[in-house]
Amino acid sequence: MHTHPAVVSASRALPPHFIDQETLIAALSAYWGKQHFNVERLADIHRATRVGGRHLALPLAEYPGLDTFRKCNDAFVRVGAEVGEAAVRAALDRAGIAPADVDHLFFVTVTGISTPSLDAKLVNRLGLPARVKRTPIFGLGCMAGAAGLARASDALRAFPGEVAVLLSVELCSLTLQREDMSVANVIASGLFGDGAAAVVLEGGARARAGAPRIEATRSVFYPDTEWVMGWDVVDTGFKVLLSPKVPEVIEANVGGDVDRFLADHGLAKGDVRHWIAHTGGPKVLEAFRRAVGLPEAALERSWRSLREVGNLSSASVLFVLADLLDAGEARPGDVGLLAAMGPGFSAELLLLRW
Amino acid sequence: MNPVPSPLTDLEAAVAREILRIAREDLAIAAEPAPDEPLAGRLDSLQLLSLVVAVEDRFRVILSDEDARATRSLEDLARLVAERASPDRLAGPADSAGQAAP
Repeated sequence: MHTHPAVVSASRALPPHFIDQETLIAALSAYWGKQHFNVERLADIHRATRVGGRHLALPLAEYPGLDTFRKCNDAFVRVGAEVGEAAVRAALDRAGIAPADVDHLFFVTVTGISTPSLDAKLVNRLGLPARVKRTPIFGLGCMAGAAGLARASDALRAFPGEVAVLLSVELCSLTLQREDMSVANVIASGLFGDGAAAVVLEGGARARAGAPRIEATRSVFYPDTEWVMGWDVVDTGFKVLLSPKVPEVIEANVGGDVDRFLADHGLAKGDVRHWIAHTGGPKVLEAFRRAVGLPEAALERSWRSLREVGNLSSASVLFVLADLLDAGEARPGDVGLLAAMGPGFSAELLLLRW
Repeated sequence: MNPVPSPLTDLEAAVAREILRIAREDLAIAAEPAPDEPLAGRLDSLQLLSLVVAVEDRFRVILSDEDARATRSLEDLARLVAERASPDRLAGPADSAGQAAP
């Protein structure tokens, strides 16, 4: 019997309102032009994110009406329940597991709040059993997809015969601070998109051939780096804090962290065939690649996800994981490393083996 | 060998002071670069980009990538803005220069 929990399926769900980057730039230019003289410079900042387009939670025409935090958050709860349900249903279908068999529901987000948390709505909408243990996690930001997987696997080590579902819902467009014309906010509005991802995990006692096992996880907290990334909670909602030092912190630390994590399990970077990295942005991806010493092609799935849907915060790394699983490329014995970084500042690493 | 740059004119010096004020008061940038110091050495990339955007807004000028390559220091930036900006956008800092150094 395996002792390690397994990733059985992963799915992606996107809101239906796709908009390409140039159309979005044209729409935002009207706001930028109120305060900024050289609108083309801000457009270039958007283009530098290398994002081709985003699937927005709402039709573009509805965003001007989102003039209070309450309206934004109401939209988060409504649309979040829809895309969250779609993601979980798809993941359960792929896994061949009925909603009634789910024992744990981990829910991660950083783009909206509610009490009860969104997972409670999904228990009702999906018909999950009354015994389901809900664990909503808020505040880990982009790292929460990886951290949620790690915490779900922790739970399944205690309950190896059970099933856990991890759901990430991030509707970043609903946090846009239109009156904040700072460069940091312009970058964020060019980079972040909307989406949901769900992953179904089984405990080690429920053996299933071909599913990657989560052999180990590692959390790394970087002391005194709270200022690097986060939200400044203001009257109009969540205002992004994004330091240009993020790539520096990653480059200074993550390579060593990955090496130590792998070495503790008798492995080295050369043993890893699949790198499943949070998409971040161009500078974050490059910093991660350099820190770990990878060839450019190693992170192609992350780059593609960034181009296609933008940075989906915690859902991004799960999108990359789902892409890998859908491709069916992994072979028995393959080793994968899943990694994401986020506010704290901190990193979460998972060792997968097929 | 690089030519020794000439001292700033009163107008250019006033523009330089206004740029420092924007950095300090509008952008809350704590680092204060010396006039001839490379800006990129004192400001991080986000601060530098924010300062360029703010200078473009204040003086109604557009600074191209080519301008950016030729602009290393605060003095360089002040000279460029003083040359490029229309007189009405320069009136404020020019006046304040007069007050500061009568």
